Amino acid sequence: MKVTYPHMGYMNAPIRFMLESLAIEVAEAPPISKRTVELGTLHSPEGVCLPYKINMGNFLEGLERGADTIVTMCGAGKCRLGFYGAVQRTGLAKGREVAFCSLDTERLLPDLYRFLRYAAPAAGRLAVAGGIALAVKKLRALDAINDAKNYFGPRADDPQRIIDICEYGAGEIALAENFAEVNYSRDLIAGVMSSCRRADAPPPPRVALVGEFYVLMEPYANRWIENALVRQGVEVKKFVRAGGWAYAKTLLQTFGLFNEEREYLEQARPYFNHHVGGDGLKSVGTSLWSARQGCDGIIHAFPFGCLPEIVAQYALKNIVADYGLPLLTLSIDEHASDVGIATRLEAFVDCIKRKKNVT
Amino acid sequence: MTISVGIPRALLFHEFGELWQGFFTNLGVPVNVSAATTKTVLDRGTSLAVDESCLPLKLYLGHAESLLACSSHLFVPRIACYHRGYFLCAKFAGLPDIVRNTFGLGADRLIAPDVDGRRTLSGISAVRTAAAAAGRSTFAGLASLRRALAVWRARPRAAETADAKLAVIGHSYILNDPFLGGEVLALLAARGVATVTPDDIPARLLYDEARVFAPEIYWQLSAKLAGAASYFARRSDIAGLVMVSCFGCGPDSLMNEFLEERVLKGCGKPYAVLCFDEHTGRAGVATRVEAFWDLVEWRRRQ
Repeated sequence: MKVTYPHMGYMNAPIRFMLESLAIEVAEAPPISKRTVELGTLHSPEGVCLPYKINMGNFLEGLERGADTIVTMCGAGKCRLGFYGAVQRTGLAKGREVAFCSLDTERLLPDLYRFLRYAAPAAGRLAVAGGIALAVKKLRALDAINDAKNYFGPRADDPQRIIDICEYGAGEIALAENFAEVNYSRDLIAGVMSSCRRADAPPPPRVALVGEFYVLMEPYANRWIENALVRQGVEVKKFVRAGGWAYAKTLLQTFGLFNEEREYLEQARPYFNHHVGGDGLKSVGTSLWSARQGCDGIIHAFPFGCLPEIVAQYALKNIVADYGLPLLTLSIDEHASDVGIATRLEAFVDCIKRKKNVT
Repeated sequence: MTISVGIPRALLFHEFGELWQGFFTNLGVPVNVSAATTKTVLDRGTSLAVDESCLPLKLYLGHAESLLACSSHLFVPRIACYHRGYFLCAKFAGLPDIVRNTFGLGADRLIAPDVDGRRTLSGISAVRTAAAAAGRSTFAGLASLRRALAVWRARPRAAETADAKLAVIGHSYILNDPFLGGEVLALLAARGVATVTPDDIPARLLYDEARVFAPEIYWQLSAKLAGAASYFARRSDIAGLVMVSCFGCGPDSLMNEFLEERVLKGCGKPYAVLCFDEHTGRAGVATRVEAFWDLVEWRRRQ
């Protein structure tokens, strides 16, 4: 059995480490490229959203590398993600033998545990549980250094160095063998970043980056906007974190300590009064929170046609009008080009910088 | 202030409109239903809505706007789920918020009861919200809902007659709108083709039919369409199937592919998928529908 899985931001490295440490053979798809997107688009329904198409490209490239088992996540939410698996399974089954395992995000821990026990029959229960715990720990450490990059980058003389340190550190954390090593690398990297900070740096403009989970997590999909903003001296506040999400979905949810809906519903009132599936409610809640905290602009990124985010957009338009904030809406599909997004981003940053200097 | 309730003739009005009208009429509240869709309604809706919204939602906003001047309240129910185990898509769960944010309406001008089948008492609290907004007691609300339901359940269905028919499958708010799917039905009727739609079949039958797809399909309206597709594909008096959907419909973008693979390709009947957007020209639709009917005719002669 050779396992492949879709890419999503920095999630692949800890997952690969977890699978390999349980002696499961992995055929990881190459990093997302133009070819991945084209291949995926070719094998997807025309009107479906971008994450579906990129996932499909990852699966096909993974199969090219000899994989025979696909693991992916599907949420029985109200957005299209819950239905991805059913259609992808049919599309991939054409003319080949492939096992398709889909983990339900509402039962992530039991589903993942069952899959690992099935894929690694030789590994003990404790090894499997330990592997999952270490992977979640690593993802949370990666969240932490990414947050540190977004904070220290715009406050440093050379933001690019901070980005490089972050990337190097991510590699270190991914290969850590145990909790202590993860903690050590995380603190070391955050420390190095902090020492690059300019003592007399004025507070940089702050931008809230909200929107759909996949597009915010996967730099290829969002055309590296986070780093582009850091390079332009803007502090990025992002509310979507892979590790935080995995932690909430595995541990907290299993023990009933996590209710995302209630938390964001309180934040989103009075603009929004109901959960609309996906991350729609969260986008509204976190935008409103950021606006009240005095951030300088909001960037809303989502895949073209994303149902919950379109509904959220109705509320975002009013939030930015009421709080006098600039809003940049990035609706991304397979035709999105670096140049188009870079131009809009630069114009947006100019706008918030000028606004900040005037007032 | 005299109260009058405006109901936009769009989305789930095409499914439950008579029930809603009956409810408010029984309460003694005058009801204004917006006029049938016109190009003006579509254009207004398109300019009011967020660009990427699906066409039916744009129409809804156009209809809602036309009611603002003549009604004291708008009836915009939030129907997140009404059969256990199924959900409606994001726009239905967010509809009152969409309307409020688009027109900047205060909460006092909307009658927006939450209908959520996962909670046992949701029906009663929905009636209470609706009745209180109209200044009536919950008891009066329940009584008028009871009477409206009895009338609604006893509504007559179209009788099926012809021996060779086309099944036209699509959401009721697409097929019943003369501007969208209604055009397809009118074109076929003008050529003397008998058609049958999911609305002509008792919903219970369609949901039973859709059970084979559970739990994969969790959108309620899509489950109904999937049930209809597999039911019509099986029936010998159906000569062909036409799927009608709208650009930007999230569930349909995957459902059409799913049904093609799981039902339509294997059924041995010709099928066509038509997709509408706000730029749809009449000639394009007419050409495709006529070509499809020619194909069905040719197949039948073979």
